[in-house]
Amino acid sequence: MKLRWLIGLLGVLALTASATLGHGDEKHVIGTLIKVNADSVVVKTADGKSVEVKLISGTAIVMRDGKAAKLSDLTTGEKVVIHAKPKGDTLEASEVRFSPVPPPVK
Amino acid sequence: MKRNSLLLLIIVVLIGVGVAAALSILHDGLSARAKPTALEAMLAHKARHLAIPADARTMTNPIPDNAQNMEDAEMHFADHCATCHGNNGGGDTMYGKGLYPKPPDLRLPQTQELSDGEIFWIIENGVRFTGMPGFGGDDDSKQDSWKLVRLIRHFPKLSMDEQMMMEKNNPKSPDDMEEEKQENDFLNGAPAPKESEAHHHH
Repeated sequence: MKLRWLIGLLGVLALTASATLGHGDEKHVIGTLIKVNADSVVVKTADGKSVEVKLISGTAIVMRDGKAAKLSDLTTGEKVVIHAKPKGDTLEASEVRFSPVPPPVK
Repeated sequence: MKRNSLLLLIIVVLIGVGVAAALSILHDGLSARAKPTALEAMLAHKARHLAIPADARTMTNPIPDNAQNMEDAEMHFADHCATCHGNNGGGDTMYGKGLYPKPPDLRLPQTQELSDGEIFWIIENGVRFTGMPGFGGDDDSKQDSWKLVRLIRHFPKLSMDEQMMMEKNNPKSPDDMEEEKQENDFLNGAPAPKESEAHHHH
């Protein structure tokens, strides 16, 4: 019983020691794919900016209806909505949702 | 004599910790965004262990391990728990990062090595001095909590498809829903929304 009180007291005292930790909000990047690499994509947004987003092992690539897809399904010209987390100066994609370009009409 | 020496040692240690804590507060403040020190983490784990009654540790899960119960648990977790813990149990969420202490990564041994009964007890009763509330109260909650125990055991091998399904059941504010609609409209052919590189606090 005394041990519990001692651990509790030490815990309360120790809980006051602290060190800061940064945190970043998620960002949504919306636009057209202009470049696709194995580890990143570049998106042209509506205001004409080119935004590079890194692809990581946990990046989910999905079609607009939510079905899972692969990196090889991404091609330039497709519309994308990317949910990404800022990591330093870069963005890391948690999800890339895209709308496949329809095949050309013959 | 021995007892007096021990008492003196404890008092000196407590004063030392107190002084260190006071200096730390004066220097850094008491931000909930801080990362708990190794000492705090160790003490918190000990305290959590002591907080769980011995008979709770040996409880076994009465809920069968089947697809329907797993889906129920995933939808429940996505709606009630993922705001802090994340759909994959990793805790890498805006609320999770702002809590002190942070929610544990439920996929790691720190959680996976707990018994089913301990995990159940924590879901039902919460953890004092943390952001983890107790969700217990009735028989329905017990069923749900046991299903969640199944899901927590499953987290280390949760698939991307399962995460995508869970995402659909995450709580959404009116702003989130409007944003999602704009994104879906864009993917279906509408022009891009005005803010096509926007911060999102979900």
